[in-house]
Amino acid sequence: MTVVPAQQGGGGGGSSGLYDVLELVLDRGLVIDAFVRVSLVGIEILKIDVRVVVASVDTYLRFAEACNRLDLESGPNKSPGLPDVVGSITESGARGKSKGALSGAAETISDAFKQAREGDGQSESRPRARKSTASRRKEEQE
Amino acid sequence: MSTYVYGITAASHPTVPEDLTGVGDPALPVRVLTVGELAAIVSDAPEGLRPKRRDLLAHQNVLSEAGADGCILPMRFGSVAPDDDTVTGVLAERSEHYKERLRTLDGKVEYNVKATHDEEAVLHRVMSDNPDVRAMTEANRKAGGGSYEDRLRLGEMVVAAVKAREAEDAGLVQSALEPLADAISVGPESSGWLANVSFLVERDSAASFLEAVDELRKAHPHLDLRVNGPLPPYSFVDPGPAEPAGTTVGIDHAEE
Repeated sequence: MTVVPAQQGGGGGGSSGLYDVLELVLDRGLVIDAFVRVSLVGIEILKIDVRVVVASVDTYLRFAEACNRLDLESGPNKSPGLPDVVGSITESGARGKSKGALSGAAETISDAFKQAREGDGQSESRPRARKSTASRRKEEQE
Repeated sequence: MSTYVYGITAASHPTVPEDLTGVGDPALPVRVLTVGELAAIVSDAPEGLRPKRRDLLAHQNVLSEAGADGCILPMRFGSVAPDDDTVTGVLAERSEHYKERLRTLDGKVEYNVKATHDEEAVLHRVMSDNPDVRAMTEANRKAGGGSYEDRLRLGEMVVAAVKAREAEDAGLVQSALEPLADAISVGPESSGWLANVSFLVERDSAASFLEAVDELRKAHPHLDLRVNGPLPPYSFVDPGPAEPAGTTVGIDHAEE
């Protein structure tokens, strides 16, 4: 599916907008009973979208997973990001790679939630704040 | 040869460009059938017409060309009459009705607005609004992701919260833009979007309508708004019986 920057197409005729106007062209508009209409067999396929929020086990699991990832990547707290994970592994030395990385992440998460609660809803959605977090954290550590 | 009908317009309306072509491969030339004060924009109907991309686009293109500087009543895609005489016959028979529709819709265009959630942004929102979801996410993470049942329970909770948010935001989109429109038509619910609403807007006030959409975008960054228009008034040509009372303000009474 193409994502079109939401500008108004001149006359709405551009092919980029076809997906969005499809249902208007096919389902609305004047119908005159003295005319026949072409068969629309198979057209339903066009109306199916990937972003389906239906109640199913798969959806639940997908959303649970999405929540799990959410704050790790772009939560209110600075998440470690890859370079720092490597750093904490070297620090923890003998404790073993996976354990070090995992507990580090868990700390970050609980910090994140503490902050979120104390910040009484200040943690507005900031979907694009992710890029800088790793580097910022690095600076703080140094 | 059967006749493909694109739309109905006033005969006084400036005609379509000379070389305009419509459906078919190769694209068939567009003609105008005039009956009294009305005109039908037609072409020959190609054999085996199907709702293919190029033909859908052609239909849409003819309507935007023919409706560029005047009102046109768009036909639904794929309307085919047995011949030209049937078309002119229908126009003559129902001329009062179509003239009335053209008067009512004169100077107005349709803008269709579809809203979806930016998933990541809405999850942030749900998290910050909902302590239970936060607590359970935290617990699951501490348990290394949580058991299958835990994850299901969290997912179920999140989906419910997202759905509630969808309903809330659908109302928000509608009520924010409704004051700028002469009429609205709520499209069928679908899994593809949380709101799908068409607004009938005065051509001259289209700019302020689009401004309002931009404001809405700025105020609610978790909403993804797609606007299509100006379009011929697909959703307002025929006040169907299925539309709930009050959704077509300014159109209902015009029918009688």
